[in-house]
Amino acid sequence: MTYVLAFDAATEHVAIGIARIDGETRTTIAATDFSAPRAALGRLLPATRVLLEDAGLAPRDISVVAVGRGPGSFTGVRIAVATAKGLAHGLGVPLAGLGTLDAVAWRFRDVTGLVGVVGDAMRGEVYPCLFRCADGRCERLDEYHVAKPIVAAEAWAATLTEPVLLAGNGLAKYAEVFEGTLGARASIAPEELWTPSGESVLDAAFAGHQEPSLAHALADPASADPGLLLPVYTRLSDAEEDEAKRAGAVPPTGVAGPDGGV
Amino acid sequence: MELAHMAAALEIENASFTTPWTPGMFADELAQDDRVWLVAIEAEELLGYGGIMLAPDAVHVMNIAVAASARGEGVARALMLALAREAAARGARRMTLEVRATNAAALALYSGLGFDSLGVRPGYYDDTGEDAVIMWADIARLTAIAAAREGSDIILAIETSCDETAASVMRGGSETLSSVVATQVDFHARFGGVVPEIASRKHTEAIVGVVDEALEQAGLGFGDLDAVAVTYGPGLIGALVVGVAYAKGLSLATGLPLVGVNHLEGHIFANRLADPELTTPLIALVVSGGHTSLIHVPDWGEYHTLGSTLDDAAGEAFDKVAKLLGLGYPGGPAISRLAEQGDPAAIPFPRAMLHSGDYDFSLSGLKTAVLTYVRHEQAAGREIHIPNLAASFQAAVIDVQVAKAVRAAEEYGVRDFCLGGGVAANTALREALRVALAARGVRLSVPPFALCTDNAAMIASAAHFRLRKGAFLGLEAEATASLPLR
Repeated sequence: MTYVLAFDAATEHVAIGIARIDGETRTTIAATDFSAPRAALGRLLPATRVLLEDAGLAPRDISVVAVGRGPGSFTGVRIAVATAKGLAHGLGVPLAGLGTLDAVAWRFRDVTGLVGVVGDAMRGEVYPCLFRCADGRCERLDEYHVAKPIVAAEAWAATLTEPVLLAGNGLAKYAEVFEGTLGARASIAPEELWTPSGESVLDAAFAGHQEPSLAHALADPASADPGLLLPVYTRLSDAEEDEAKRAGAVPPTGVAGPDGGV
Repeated sequence: MELAHMAAALEIENASFTTPWTPGMFADELAQDDRVWLVAIEAEELLGYGGIMLAPDAVHVMNIAVAASARGEGVARALMLALAREAAARGARRMTLEVRATNAAALALYSGLGFDSLGVRPGYYDDTGEDAVIMWADIARLTAIAAAREGSDIILAIETSCDETAASVMRGGSETLSSVVATQVDFHARFGGVVPEIASRKHTEAIVGVVDEALEQAGLGFGDLDAVAVTYGPGLIGALVVGVAYAKGLSLATGLPLVGVNHLEGHIFANRLADPELTTPLIALVVSGGHTSLIHVPDWGEYHTLGSTLDDAAGEAFDKVAKLLGLGYPGGPAISRLAEQGDPAAIPFPRAMLHSGDYDFSLSGLKTAVLTYVRHEQAAGREIHIPNLAASFQAAVIDVQVAKAVRAAEEYGVRDFCLGGGVAANTALREALRVALAARGVRLSVPPFALCTDNAAMIASAAHFRLRKGAFLGLEAEATASLPLR
C-alpha cells in the first residue's frame, strides 16, 4: 500500500490531504484545510500529525510527500517547502511538487469550462492563471507569472470568448477589477472555494503539472530527492529587481527552480 | 524490584502519600508480566522505586516515590529515565502519568523530563478532591535526556538565522563530529548587506544538502541521533523560519525530539567549545552583523541580558561605513585592515552612550557622524584620509564596547569574559578588551574565527545543555525574530 501526504501553505490557508494508492485506485483517506494567517509554521505539522493519527497512520507509513511550490506568499511557500523537505528527508522518501494555483483550480473539477485563478502576489500584483476544467479534471493553460491586476484582466478580456469562473485569494482585493474588465463573461466563485482544500492539493499533485511530478517521484524516487525541489516565486527579491532595473534589464519573470517553474 | 524490597518500600510509600498503596497492591503489581518496577539503592538502603505498565497505546507510570531523606538529589529523575529506557527497549513510544495539580515539585520534575500537560481529571484524588494533571511525553525525549546526562548524546543541529546555512553533528556537547557551513556571503556582497529575501531563498535551496554533508562527514544516519536542534531566534524571521520548518518536519518524520536554541546562547557556547576550561560566572559580549549584546551568565544555561544595541549592530555599523567608503562587503575586515595604517585619534567621532550608566549601545549616530564628516570634507574640497577615518571610526566603536565590558565584569565580579560573533574577529577589539580586562584580573576567551562566525556546532553544544534540562520544542513551535535570552 502506498500513502501520499500532500499539503500547501502558500496562501493564508493551510490544506493537507492523505491518499492511499492501491494498484490503479486512488482514495482520499483524510483531508483538512483551515485559515492560518501568519500562523502556518505553528499549525501545519500539528494538524498533519492529527490527520495521520486519525487515519490510523504513523509518519513512517508515508511513501511520498507532495508540496505546494507556489506561486503565493514567499514565506508561506517556504514554510510548506522546508517542512516537506524535513519530512521527506527524515522519512527517506521522495518529494514531489504541486502547483498552488492548480490546487485552487481543482476545487472546480466538477465544473465544465474556464476557471481563472487570481492568486494574491502582494505589492499590488496578482498571479493570474487560466485552467480548463472538464470531465473531473483541470488542465492549466498558462505559465505561472505575476502581473498588475488590470493588465491581467485586460489580457483575459482581449482573448476570452467564453465565460470564465474566477477564484483565488487575489479576488479579495481585485474582484472588481476583473468583473469590471471582463463584464458579463466573468462570474465569481464563492469565497470558501478561493483557496486549496486537502482534496484539491491531492488532485493537483496527481495531475502532475509540477516537477518533479508525483508519478515521476513514485516511479523513480532518486529523481525526486528532497534536496532538489524549490519554490516557484515568479519574482526576484526586491533587491535584485531594483538592481536589474538600474542595469536596464528587467527580466519578465524572476522564476526560480530547476525547470523555470513550468 | 523484588518482594525483598517490600518492607522498605512500604515505609517510603506510607511516608509519601495520603492514600498509600497496600502490600497487596504491590504484590499484585510485581506479579504481572506487563509491568516494569525498578528500585534506587545506595549502600544497601532503598532510596526509592517506580513502576510502569506497558499498555498497547502507551506506557503508564503506576507509582514513583523517593525516601524523604533522599529527595532533591535526582533519584526520582534517575528512576524515570531508567524506566523510560526499559520501555524504549520494549518498543514503547509514549509515556503518560497523572500528578496532583498542587504537587509543584513533581510537576517541575516531569516538565523537566519532557512531559507536556495535556489535560486535567477534575477531582481525581478522593482524599482531597484535587485535580489530576494528565501528562504525556515521547519516550524518545527521556532517552535523549538520559544520553545527554551521561554525555553520550548525539545531536544534529541546524542554524539558519542569518546568511549561513549550517549543520553540525556533535557527541556529548563537546565532541564535534562534523560542522558544515554553506555561506551565502557572495550573494549578498553586491548589495552591501544581507538581503533577507535572498537569505531565505538560499537556505531553502541548501538545507537538505548541508544536513546530508554533516551526516556524511560524521559517518552517521538519522537513526544514530538522539535529538535534532535548531536555532529559533533571534535573527532574520524569514531565514529562521526555513530552519525551524525543516527541523520540525525532520522531528515528526524520525520521532527525534526537537531542542530549540537561542542564537546568542550558541555564540556563548562557541567559547566553551573552543575553551573547555571556561567557567561560570562570566560575562559574554556577542558582537556580529545582527547582534550587539552584553550578557551575564551566572551558570551554564542561565542568562541575564544586561544590554544590547538600541539600533544598529556593531557589524552592521562596520558594513554601512564600508559601503559609504566604497570598501565592499563585509565591511569589518576591510575597515580593520585600513585602520592598522591610520591614527585612531585623528577624528574625534562620538562615543555614544559611553556614560549612559546602563549596558545598552547605540551605533547609528556614529554611522551618521562618519557620513557627515565625509560630506563636510568633500564640500571643503579636502581629500579624505581613509586609513585615519577607518581607525577613528573603529576606535569609537571599540571604546564603548570595552568600557561597558569592563564595567560589567567589575559589577558582577567575574573572572572570565567571552567574546563571540563575527566582529570578534576584529584584532583591535580583541586586543583592547584583553588588555583592559587583564588589568582587572579577568581572562578573555575568544574562539577561533570559524567558531566566531555563525555555525551549527555552537548550536549543538548549547542544545546538549538544554537537553540535559529537558527543554524541548513541540511541533507547534514558531521562529522568533527578537527572542530574548534567558
